[in-house]
Amino acid sequence: MKNAEKAIIKKDIRGITSNKRLFIPLWIVPLMMTVVLPSIFICAVHFATDDPDVMSLLELLPESARTGNVELVIAGMIFNNILPAFFLMIPIMAASIMAASAFVGEKEKYTLETLLYCPLSVKEIFRAKVLSSFLLSMFVSLVSFAVMLAVLELEAVFLMGHPLIPGVGWAIVLFLLSPAVSLIAVTLIVRNSAKAQSVEESQQSAVFLIIPVILLVVGQFAGVMLLNVWILLGLGVLCAALAWMLLQRAVRRFTYEMLLK
Amino acid sequence: MNAVELHNLSKTYPGGKQAVRDVSLSLEPGEVFGFLGPNGAGKTTTVKLLNGMLTPTEGTCRVLGADPAREPEKVHAVSGVVTEHARMYDNLTGMQNLIFYAELFGLPADEAAGRAEALLREMELEEAKDRKLAAWSTGMRQRLSLARALIHGPKILFLDEPTSGLDPESAQNVNRMIREMARNSGITVFLCTHQLRYAQEICTRYGLIEEGQLLASGTLDELRAETFSRITLQIRAGSMPPGMGFRRTGALEYETSIRSEEEIPEIVRRIAAAGGDIYKVEAKQPDLEEIYFALTAPGRERLQ
Repeated sequence: MKNAEKAIIKKDIRGITSNKRLFIPLWIVPLMMTVVLPSIFICAVHFATDDPDVMSLLELLPESARTGNVELVIAGMIFNNILPAFFLMIPIMAASIMAASAFVGEKEKYTLETLLYCPLSVKEIFRAKVLSSFLLSMFVSLVSFAVMLAVLELEAVFLMGHPLIPGVGWAIVLFLLSPAVSLIAVTLIVRNSAKAQSVEESQQSAVFLIIPVILLVVGQFAGVMLLNVWILLGLGVLCAALAWMLLQRAVRRFTYEMLLK
Repeated sequence: MNAVELHNLSKTYPGGKQAVRDVSLSLEPGEVFGFLGPNGAGKTTTVKLLNGMLTPTEGTCRVLGADPAREPEKVHAVSGVVTEHARMYDNLTGMQNLIFYAELFGLPADEAAGRAEALLREMELEEAKDRKLAAWSTGMRQRLSLARALIHGPKILFLDEPTSGLDPESAQNVNRMIREMARNSGITVFLCTHQLRYAQEICTRYGLIEEGQLLASGTLDELRAETFSRITLQIRAGSMPPGMGFRRTGALEYETSIRSEEEIPEIVRRIAAAGGDIYKVEAKQPDLEEIYFALTAPGRERLQ
């Protein structure tokens, strides 16, 4: 990667971190999803283990997963099956804040033309824009995971007397599937931002077209986590390949003229 | 190798508007070329074509040997551009902006900082360098844009109405800086402007464009020869003997039209011999403004 691309990434990330109105919401929702919500789950499990709904939920689990301490089984199921899906959503939500205004935001501030006068190709500028959103989203995602893990383990030890054991699936989700899905979403949102005429239009397209599709996939994810780890790995590799292909081909027909229109 | 070459360059926008029509011209390295014409004449479109922001409909252009339509990055690496719509980041300081653009052009961090400092000093923006651009005046931003265009040491500078929207004092400051830069650095300058008097001070050659067509190009003398065949001779005299062919323009002012300056001594001798008292004789060459108005439609209307 050229230093000029790194300069764009640095500038874009600084644009978000120096703007409190964007930076605070960037953290609030992920932390709600990874700290507050899981804590409520763990407390509910601890204080309402005999609930008939919880029992019927337990019956849905495979035989092998139903042995041992019921509290820990349910908490582990939430931890290893439901919470990973959040880590498909968090990076997309975080990235969409930056990605939606990647090109059209510059166009509205009349800085896009200046950026295009630099000795980088449209593809390189596009790649830098995608990477800045992607890197920020991964940072938010990994910090959220670290905070969630610390809080949940403390709660588990304190309430149930035993820490929760993260499954192998977590590694696949955090380091392969989540980055790949995030990269797909970011590439599509940035591509759309290059065609949009206003930031609002770009954000609406992101919210109404791209995010629902991704969330539909996320919705089915708790089930996928129950499947074999190798299937999860295969899915991750497939998404990563799709992300790479999209990134390579997304700007094929892009021209300066089209971007400035 | 010419710094800039345009060969039968045309650009028609998707809506059908023909912004540039069959324009051909070339600039030698180090030339300061004034591209003059009314609003909507095609000046900005030409600058965008020369930087690869637009693709020509017909014809070709080259900047220091590179075709901007095929190798825009090569053109950008050797050129600096200042246009009305090429602004900088309000959330960054002047210094941060310049360092960012220096890095975009591949300058190492320490060199970028040094060069940014020097340019801010040159543009008299040193005091404001650590303030965010949101608090800068339009004149200061325009000077910073000039610094930004020079940050990578370009060989050619495209300036599209660099003083547009500025108050007279700021415009004068920007003009002075461009003039000094053009004189001292030897950069080729392609300047689009409405300020004809100022253009005449710094440009070595001119091109006049209207409705996308190049009306004329050349040095001031070449344009004079093309548009005005005669010189205006102005004489201030106590009295003008009759039959000399002069028309009275003021209390003691008389004016006539001559073919060349060589006619002046004989005319002066004849007036003196006929008893006229001559206080002042001046042969007035048409300036760029008169040439511009003689060639462009708004000017022709104004003269009528």
